[in-house]
Amino acid sequence: MSLQELWTEIERNAEEEVSRILENARREAQKVVAEASAKADAIRDEGTKALTRELDAQERAELAIARMDRNGEFLRLKSEWVNRVFEEAGKRIAEMAENNRSEYHELLSNLTLEGITKTNGNKFTVEANSRDKKTIEHALRTIAKRAGKIKNGKVVLKTETLQTTTLGGVVVSTETKAQYFNNLLEARLSAATRNLGGEAYKMLFGTGETNE
Amino acid sequence: MDIKELQELIERERIAEEKVRKAKEEAQAILKNAREKAESILQSVDSDQNWEMVRQAKKEEIARKKAEVEEEHKQKISLVDKTAREKFERAVAYVTKRTLRVEI
Repeated sequence: MSLQELWTEIERNAEEEVSRILENARREAQKVVAEASAKADAIRDEGTKALTRELDAQERAELAIARMDRNGEFLRLKSEWVNRVFEEAGKRIAEMAENNRSEYHELLSNLTLEGITKTNGNKFTVEANSRDKKTIEHALRTIAKRAGKIKNGKVVLKTETLQTTTLGGVVVSTETKAQYFNNLLEARLSAATRNLGGEAYKMLFGTGETNE
Repeated sequence: MDIKELQELIERERIAEEKVRKAKEEAQAILKNAREKAESILQSVDSDQNWEMVRQAKKEEIARKKAEVEEEHKQKISLVDKTAREKFERAVAYVTKRTLRVEI
């Protein structure tokens, strides 16, 4: 081999080595970047899925809470309407008692008779406020007569003034006060509120007390 | 081969080795750049603007749906008020009558 050939061979080998080194480096560099991109895409995809799951859950929870709040408010509104019915009924009954007309007098007699019917014995004390006591005393003989027919025997009645303030109505008790029947208007309103709530609801809204 | 030629050959050999050494340095630099770029790509995932946009879009969607729930609720309230108002008198009359109904 000539000297010139030797030089050329050295340079060629060097060039080849340089090319190989740089080629390998560039290939390796591309691989590193490609792997990082793929990994980033995978992380991004998984992150997006996780984020979507998280946000969907958040949406469901927030909307469920919003609906629950509104449903609660809706039920409160309906309940308020039902309460208003009983308040208004109470007002009308109180006015009726205050007006103290024949219709109320008839009611007082009937309230007394109901108390007698629901209580054992033949001797009763009828307690009422002073206004109603007067009315009952006027009708006492008639009430006693009607009560006698119901009880199939003589019924003895006496009246007393009730010490507590009341809208009206009566408390009928046995002579010994061992048994009594509270037929005061407040007691009747209270019972009506307990027992007629569902019916009032249906009358107002046309359905049962279901959550809407 | 005389001395001069030998020296020339050694010099050529040295230059060739220098080229290879520089190529190795350049290769190291290429790899270093690639690793830095890879790191940057991975770091960019954490500060992905797209996720923030997804969050914002969902936030707006939830707000819109809540507004729909609110509107639906208002309509239901309005309907219930109207129905109750219409049937109120009848319900009061019924409750009053039932409250005063006696069983003899």
